[in-house]
Amino acid sequence: MVVDHETPSLENGQTDKEVEENANVLQFMDSMDAYLTLIHSLSSTLRRGWLELASARHSMGASRVNTVLLDHTSHPAATSLLVTQDEGKVDSGKPHFTLCKWASSSNENSLLGEKQSSQDKLHPQLRHRGSTELYEEKTSSENKASREVDDPVQKERSKSLSMFGTLVSPKLRAAQLSFEAALETLVEIANMRSEMLCAFDQVNMKLEGRKDEK
Amino acid sequence: MYGFEAMTFNIHGGYLEAIVRGHRAGLLTAADYNNLCQCETLDDIKMHLSATEYGPYLQNEPSPLHTTTIVEKCTLKLVDEYKHMLCQATEPLSTFLEYITYGHMIDNVVLIVTGTLHERDVQELLEKCHPLGMFDSIATLAVAQNMRELYRLVLVDTPLAPYFSECITSEDLDDMNIEIMRNTLYKAYLEDFYKFCQKLGGATAEIMSDLLAFEADRRAVNITINSIGTELTRDDRRKLYSNFGLLYPYGHEELAVCEDIDQVRAAMEKYPPYQSIFSRLSYGESQMLDKAFYEEEVKRLCLAFEQQFHYGVFFAYMRLREQEIRNLMWISECVAQNQKSRVHDSVVFIF
Repeated sequence: MVVDHETPSLENGQTDKEVEENANVLQFMDSMDAYLTLIHSLSSTLRRGWLELASARHSMGASRVNTVLLDHTSHPAATSLLVTQDEGKVDSGKPHFTLCKWASSSNENSLLGEKQSSQDKLHPQLRHRGSTELYEEKTSSENKASREVDDPVQKERSKSLSMFGTLVSPKLRAAQLSFEAALETLVEIANMRSEMLCAFDQVNMKLEGRKDEK
Repeated sequence: MYGFEAMTFNIHGGYLEAIVRGHRAGLLTAADYNNLCQCETLDDIKMHLSATEYGPYLQNEPSPLHTTTIVEKCTLKLVDEYKHMLCQATEPLSTFLEYITYGHMIDNVVLIVTGTLHERDVQELLEKCHPLGMFDSIATLAVAQNMRELYRLVLVDTPLAPYFSECITSEDLDDMNIEIMRNTLYKAYLEDFYKFCQKLGGATAEIMSDLLAFEADRRAVNITINSIGTELTRDDRRKLYSNFGLLYPYGHEELAVCEDIDQVRAAMEKYPPYQSIFSRLSYGESQMLDKAFYEEEVKRLCLAFEQQFHYGVFFAYMRLREQEIRNLMWISECVAQNQKSRVHDSVVFIF
C-alpha cells in the first residue's frame, strides 16, 4: 500500500486542498445567490417606488410632481458614494462601496445655516397689514407648539423633496423612502458583485492549478 | 328669487345648460373603464379611447405613446369644450366659468415661480402649464424676485390680484414662502368664489355652497396631513384653512393641533358626512383617503345634475372631466408599469 505523505487524507476522505476548493465554490455560489436575491429585491423596490411616484402625481396633480421642477441650481449632493480598496486581506484590490446618506461635508454646514434660517421662518410667513411688530410678538408667544424637525436625516429628506413644495403628500414621501432603499440595495449589489467576482477568481485559479498539475 | 329660475334661466343659460348636459353624456362609463383596465399596452388604451369622444384627439399621436401624452390630449378636449362654453356665455355665467379656472391659474403661477427658482428654462415651464390657467403675461413671472415684484410686475392685471393682499411681502421667494403663497392664494380664491355664488343666489348658491364647502374641508384635511412632520407651525397651518365649510371653525381648531393621521380621523369623525369616508379606512392608513374623498366628491357632483336651471352643472361637469382624466392617467401608469393589479386603487367610477 502506498502512503501519500504529501496529501494527508482526512476522516471523510477529502484533502485540505479539496476542502478549500469546496469552500471557495460554496462561497461563490452563496455570493451568487445573494446577488440574485438582491437584484430581485431591487426590482421589486423600484417597481414599488415608481408606482408610489405615480400615486403621488395622481394625488397632488401633474403640475406639482413634474420633471420641470427638478432643481438645476448647483447644490451639494445629499448622498455620496465612497469607494475603497479592501487592503490587508488575501483578496486585496477588491473594491468596497459605502453609501454616505445625507452626510456630505457641505451638508453639515448648510444644516447649521438652515437651522438658523428655519428659526426665522418659524415665525409667521403671512404678513398682516398694520402693525407687524405687535403681530409677531403675539404669534411668538401664542405659538407654543412650533415644530422643529429634530432628526437631521428627516430634515435632509424634507429638503430634497422641497423642490415639489413643502407640503407634499405622504405618498411622495413613501416614494422617496422606496428609492432610498433602492439606492442602498444598489450599493449592496455592487459589493456583492465584487465578492462574487472575487470568489469566482479564486475558484478559477484553483481549477487552473489543477489542470497544470495534471 | 329662489324657485323662479325656471322662468328666466333659459333665456341666457338654456343653450349652454343643454350643451353641458350633452357633454356629460359623453363621460366614460364603468364598461369603458373595465375595457381600459384590461389593456396590455398604451396603444391598446389609445385604441379603446378612439371609440370615445377622445378619439379625434389621440388618433394622430404616434407610437410609442407616453402617459403624459394621453393626459395632455384628453385635457385639450376639456379645454376646447370649456372655451366653446365661455365664448357663448353671457354675464354672470361667463364670470362663473372664469372662476372655475382660477385654481389652475394659481397652480401655473406657482409652477413658473418654482421652476424659475430652480433655474429652469421658461419655455419648458410654459409647456407644462395647465392650458385652462394660462394668461397673457404669464411668461414675465420669471423676472420676479419676491412676492411684491410678482404682484407689481405681473399679477396686478390678472384675476388673481385681489387674492394677493394676504401674502404680499418683500421676502425673497423660496420653497416655504412659495408653498404658503400657493395655499393662501387658493384659500382667498375659494372664499371669493363662495361669496360670488352666494351673491348669485337661488339653486346656484345652494348647490355651489355644498360643493365649495366640501372642497374647503378636503383642502383642510390635506393641508393637515401633508404638514405633519414639517416645519409648518400650528398657527400657520390654521391660517391656511378657508373661513367656511362644515369644519369651520371648530373642526379647524382640532385639525390645527393634529400630529398624526389618527388624530385627524378623530377630529373628522365628529362630522357625519366625513365619518362615512373615514370608516372605510383602517387605523393609521392614509393611502386610500384620496380615493375616498374623490368618491364622495363625484357623488356630490353627479347630484348637481339632478336639478335644473343653475350654474352648478358647469362646475360639476368640469370637475367630473378632471376626475376622468385622473382616472385615465392612473390606468395608463398602471399599464405602462405593468402593475395592472393596482389599477383599482385609484380609479373612481363616475357612473
